[in-house]
Amino acid sequence: MKIKFKKVSKNYGIVSALKKTNFSINDGEFLLLIGPSGAGKSTILKLILGQIKPSYGQILINGTIWGNNKKAIDQTRRKIGVIFQDYQLIPDKSIEENIALALDIVSYPKNRIQTRIDQVIEQVDLSTRRFLFPSQLSGGELQRTALARALAIEPEVILADEPTGNLDIDNSWKLIKLLKEINKSTGTTIILATHDLDLIESLNTRTISIKNGAIVKDTAKTTK
Amino acid sequence: MSTSKTTWHHIRRSPFQSLAAISTLAFSFFVFSAFYIISSGLSSTLKFFESKPEITIFLKDGLDKDTVESIQKEISSYPDLKEIRFISKEKALEIYKEQNKDNQMLTEMVTASILPASFEISALNPNILSQIAQNFSQKKDIVDEIIYQQDVVQSLITWTNNIRRFGIILVSVLATLAFFVISVIIGMKITNRKDEIKISRLLGASRFYTKKAFLLEGIIYGILGSFIGWLIASLLAYHFANDINNFFKPVTFIRFDLNYYLKILGIANLAGVTISYLASLVGVRRYIK
Repeated sequence: MKIKFKKVSKNYGIVSALKKTNFSINDGEFLLLIGPSGAGKSTILKLILGQIKPSYGQILINGTIWGNNKKAIDQTRRKIGVIFQDYQLIPDKSIEENIALALDIVSYPKNRIQTRIDQVIEQVDLSTRRFLFPSQLSGGELQRTALARALAIEPEVILADEPTGNLDIDNSWKLIKLLKEINKSTGTTIILATHDLDLIESLNTRTISIKNGAIVKDTAKTTK
Repeated sequence: MSTSKTTWHHIRRSPFQSLAAISTLAFSFFVFSAFYIISSGLSSTLKFFESKPEITIFLKDGLDKDTVESIQKEISSYPDLKEIRFISKEKALEIYKEQNKDNQMLTEMVTASILPASFEISALNPNILSQIAQNFSQKKDIVDEIIYQQDVVQSLITWTNNIRRFGIILVSVLATLAFFVISVIIGMKITNRKDEIKISRLLGASRFYTKKAFLLEGIIYGILGSFIGWLIASLLAYHFANDINNFFKPVTFIRFDLNYYLKILGIANLAGVTISYLASLVGVRRYIK
């Protein structure tokens, strides 16, 4: 999935969250969006997901203007796995049921749903917690559940908004290692928003730095 | 997760709201089924009287044999008569005893002397009966009372129509009430599950995907509500059938025909599903934009 931002701005009233942003993301890239809180990282992810619309400019997905066709939005969202900052898990569904819902939405073959759930739950090491509800899980476990749900649908793109925010160092590294592996083995595009400096330094990957809604550095451009 | 599973999940999570929706529908369809059964009974009664153009002339007590014979002669002089039957006081007692053979107390208290003798006249041409009724109603010295079926039929038609009209109005009011109750309950359920809907949409669920569980919920309310209402009305009809049928003898006011009850269930189910589906559709359209 190719994503292109053309002079995209997003305003919330008088507050400008994103200012005339231009960048492209190619298939299979591992992109870090970095910057302090309120810089505009989450806004970019929300725009890619179609959760919000740009105030100005255009977002192109695979060359098509994104956000005008409601049916296309649903279809594209089914190809995107999201790890939300606040997890967005359904409170009265168990871990398994939360993952099953995502699979049902993308019309995953019914006879393979349980196997797929088992696989991703194993992958994020939540086998013993599978029947628990979100309120019974720790922050780290919630984050891993959100990751499992995002992975389950075998997405073309994974959007991760501060996925290590609630994890200890060990689990943070495990998660990043897992995302790296997925990116390498399946060619899934990963867009990860973070302000974790250790993480940024350790990952030798494309990084876009944002400050006050504007891109201040894009390593893809500086290395060219 | 299948739609039916999600729907069951919704019902289980707010059972009292579901119960309220089902109860309202059940009550509406109980009234519908009850009025249907009553209305059918009245139609049978009406058909019975309509199929029997008949007049009964009750005679005054103490008339001698010659007078009775002269009355019979006069009646016989009318054309197009089918049958003239003289029911003596003794015969009337016999009939009365046969009709009330299950109630010994009623039969013991009555003697032939208190029952009037009568002529039962049936005709090929109902207009003749009208003339006989007119003629004999003036002979107050020998005639005690005339029961002319046409009057009974007219009165029955009026009653049947009024009861049907009342039934239709009552069922319409209840159906409208059920419609609004279901619509509001579905709306409340959607509000309760707003977050789930929002998350599902972000995961790529279409609008219809988020709506279908609520629509199915409405349909389930319709099926259950109409079935329960029908079942209660049918069981009550079955329970009281003997007493009611005895009262309306020889008319079978309450039928014992399974197909007839299945037909009522079919109509109730269809109407129930339509009402509840439309109500949930309104609720869904209002709350899921």
